Amino acid sequence: MSRKTRDVLSVEWVKLELIRTAYATRGGLFAKMDPRMVIGWYLLLAVAPWMTHNFTTILALFVLTAASAALARVGPLVLGLFLFGFITDFLYAFLAAWLFGGDANTAIALIEINLKLATVSLASIAAFVSLDPEKLSTGLLALGAPELLAFGVSYGYRMMPILFEEFGIVFTGLRLRSAPGPRGFLGLRALWRWGTYAVQAFYPIFLNTAKSVRTTVESLETRGFTANQGRELRIARLSIGGLDMAVVGVTVVAVVAAFGLGTRWPLG
Amino acid sequence: MTALIELDRLSFRYPGADRDTLRNVSLTIEEGDFVAVIGGNGSGKTTLCKTFNGLVPHYWAGDFAGEARVAGLDTYESSVAELSGIVGYVYQDFQNQLVRPRVRDEVEFGPMNFGMEDFQARGAEAMAMLGIDHLAERFVWQLSGGQAHLTALASVLSMRPRIIVVDEPVAEVDPAGAHALYERLTQLNRDHGITVVVIEHHAEFISQYAKSVILMDDGAPVWHLPVAEAAARADELATHGIPAPQIVDACAALDVPGAPRTVAEAATLLRDAGAVPRLASSLRTDDAAAPHAPGRPVVTASSLSHGYRTVAGDLMPVLHDVDLAIHAGDRVALVGGNGAGKSTLMRLLGGLQVPRGGSIVLDGVDTRSRSSARLADHAAYLFQRPEQMFLKDSVRADVRLHPAGRGRPDADALVDRVLDRVRLTDLADRDGRTLSGGQQRRATLAIGLAMSPALLLADEPTASLDVASRDSVIAMLDELSGTIAAAVVATHDMHLVAEWATRVIVLEHGRIVADLPPRDLFADDALLAQARLVPPQIVALGRELGLDPVPLSVAGWRDAVAPTRTEAHA
Repeated sequence: MSRKTRDVLSVEWVKLELIRTAYATRGGLFAKMDPRMVIGWYLLLAVAPWMTHNFTTILALFVLTAASAALARVGPLVLGLFLFGFITDFLYAFLAAWLFGGDANTAIALIEINLKLATVSLASIAAFVSLDPEKLSTGLLALGAPELLAFGVSYGYRMMPILFEEFGIVFTGLRLRSAPGPRGFLGLRALWRWGTYAVQAFYPIFLNTAKSVRTTVESLETRGFTANQGRELRIARLSIGGLDMAVVGVTVVAVVAAFGLGTRWPLG
Repeated sequence: MTALIELDRLSFRYPGADRDTLRNVSLTIEEGDFVAVIGGNGSGKTTLCKTFNGLVPHYWAGDFAGEARVAGLDTYESSVAELSGIVGYVYQDFQNQLVRPRVRDEVEFGPMNFGMEDFQARGAEAMAMLGIDHLAERFVWQLSGGQAHLTALASVLSMRPRIIVVDEPVAEVDPAGAHALYERLTQLNRDHGITVVVIEHHAEFISQYAKSVILMDDGAPVWHLPVAEAAARADELATHGIPAPQIVDACAALDVPGAPRTVAEAATLLRDAGAVPRLASSLRTDDAAAPHAPGRPVVTASSLSHGYRTVAGDLMPVLHDVDLAIHAGDRVALVGGNGAGKSTLMRLLGGLQVPRGGSIVLDGVDTRSRSSARLADHAAYLFQRPEQMFLKDSVRADVRLHPAGRGRPDADALVDRVLDRVRLTDLADRDGRTLSGGQQRRATLAIGLAMSPALLLADEPTASLDVASRDSVIAMLDELSGTIAAAVVATHDMHLVAEWATRVIVLEHGRIVADLPPRDLFADDALLAQARLVPPQIVALGRELGLDPVPLSVAGWRDAVAPTRTEAHA
C-alpha cells in the first residue's frame, strides 16, 4: 500500500466541493440573477412535471432542467450523488416491476414518477447551487420569510466550513490515537471503525462549538440583530433586471412548448 | 476632558453564582483615554467591560446594584441596542463574532440592523479606516487571523462608536498582527478621539500603547493610574499575575531603579546609571551554542514539495523543494509568518499527510508506506487549539486512549506517570475543556507524551496564554525534552524560541531560508526583518548594549551581568 495525495474523492475534495456548491463560487447563469426570480424559476419547474402524465412532456421537461443544470455549472460531487440516486432508483423500479409480476406498463409508470422526481431534483440543484447564502437569505426575506429564518439560513452556511474543519481535525485525532486494527474483508473492518469515529467525533465537536456560539449570540445582540429594523434596507438591495426577465421568459416558453410537444406526439 | 464612563458603587452577581463577580466598583474613564484593564483570571475584567455596553445587566440578567453611566446614559435604564451605538465590543474569540458570509456584509451588518440608510457609507468608511477595503469581497472563512480580527473591529467601527472595547487582542494573532492591531487602535484613539479599552496580559503592549491602566482584583479595581506610574509598581503587578516586562526585570537585576517603556529607554537608563555590563568576554558560552555531533536522524525530508487545492480549483503550492534532517536531541522551532508553510511541514513530518513530491523517512519508516494511524506510534502531533485534542470526557481517558488502544501492558502506570509529570493528577478526572488555558496545554503535552513518540510535533503550544502560563509551558517543554528523541514546535512566540529551542528553522513562502541556533538568528537583522520577527526585549537590550553573546532569557541576563555587579560592589 502506498499513500498519496488525492485531488478527488478525498475528504478535502468533499469539503471543497461543498463550499463551492454552497457559496456558488463556480458562477453560472443563475448566479447573476435576482434571488426572487431564481426561486420563482425553480417553483415553475418544480410544479410543472406534476401537471401531466404525458411521457413526452415529462421527457422534454427533464431535458430542459438537465440543460439548466449544465448552465448552472453544478459540481461533480452533487451531480455524482444525483446520478447515483437516479440510476439506483431506475434499477429498483425495473427490479420491482419484474419481481412483482408487472409488465412494461408498470415499468413505464415507475419510470415516469422517477423522471418527474429527477426533473424536480435537477431544478432544485440548479437553483440552489446558484444562490450564495446572502442572496438566498435576502430572497427569503423579500418573499416574506421571518427574519430569524433568513438569518438562520445564512448563519448555517457560515458555520458549515467551520464544522467541517472541526470534524476533520477531531476525526483525524481519533484515527491517530484510537486502537488500529486490520482492514478486514473489502476493508469492512476499517469502514466500521471509521463509522464509529464519525459518531464519537460528535461529542467533542458539540462541546467545542457550544462554547463559541455564546460569543456569537452576544455579538448578535450588540449589533442590533434583535432590534430588527433592517428588513427594508436589505430587500431594497435586490433588483430585477433584463437577464432575470429573459431567463424566466425563455423558461415559460420552453415549458409551454413541452406541453405542446406532448399533445402533438404523445408517447404514452 | 470629560468623563465618558462613570461607574458608581456597582456590584453584579451572575444568576446562580454564590458570590459577586463585581464588587462595589467605582470608576471613571475619561473621553479619549487608552485604557488597559489588567488582572488575574477571574478578577472580573471581562464582566466589567460588559457593563459598558449593557450586556450586563440586560443580556446577563443577574443581581445588579449601583449605577453605570456611559456617555450620560444610565445603562440600567437604556437598552443594549442604544448602547451599542456608543460602545463597540471585540471579543477574544473574535472569529465567532463574524456571522455573515462576506467581509462587506459583516461590516454593514450592524448599521443595517439598526435601519441606518447610510449603511454602505459606514461600512466603506470603517474598512478604509482599518485599511481592509481590499478584503471587502472575501468570504470570512478565507481570512487570516489578523485579517479576521480587523474585520471584527471594522464591524463594530461601522456603528461609529465613541468607545471600543477589545478583549485580549494578542491572544489569537501572531505578534506582527497584534502590533498592527494596536497601531490601528492607537490611530483611532489619536485621530478620531475614540476611547479605547483593552483587556491585556502582556506588559510590553501595555507600556507601549496604553495611556492608563486599571488593575482589577477579585471583582474591584485596585487602582487606575497613568501608565508610567502603573509600570513603576512592578512588584504589585507581579503579585497579581502580571510579570514585569523583561527590560524592567533587567534593570532590577542591576539595582537600577526605574520602569523603562522601550528597549532604547532601558539602554539609556542603564548607561546613565553606569551599570552597563562590559563587553562580557568572561561569559561562558552555553552548551546550546557549542558544536556537538548530531545524533541519529529522527526524521529526514528530501526534496519535499506540497500544495493544496483551492476553492477555485487550482493548486496552491505551499512547500518547495525542502530538505531537512532532524536528529535525536534537536529542539527545533519552526518560525515564519502566517502561510509560510509551518503547519503543512509539520503535518507531513508527522505522517498525517503525504507529500506530493519528495519523501519523508520518519524513525526509519517511509511515511508513504504506512497509514497515519500506524505512524502515530512514531510521531505525536499536538493540534493548535487544545480542545481539539480532548476527545473523551476526562483528561485521564484522553491520555490513556493511545497507549491502551495499542495494548501496552503498562498503560495505566504510564498514564499515572505522565499525568504526574505535567502536574495534572488532581485534575485528571475533569473534562479538558473545563481547565484553564495553561492546564489545557499541559494536558495536551501529556497526551503527546503518553504516545511515547520519537518525534513530538506541537503547533503553537504557547498561543493565547497569559505570560505566567506561557512561562510554565516553556519550562515544562524544557523538562520533558529528555523523554523524547526530538521535538519540533511551530511558533510565533520568540520567548519560546529564545528560551527553549536549540535550532531555529525559518520558513518563508514554503522554503527554508535559514537553519541556525537562536542566538545567531537574533544577531541577524536582515533575517529578522525578512521573516518579520521581533526578538524578545531582553535579547534586543543585550544587543543594544553590545553584549556578546547576547542573553536569551532574563536568567541568562542575570548570569551575564553577575560579574559586573560583583565588581561594582567590590
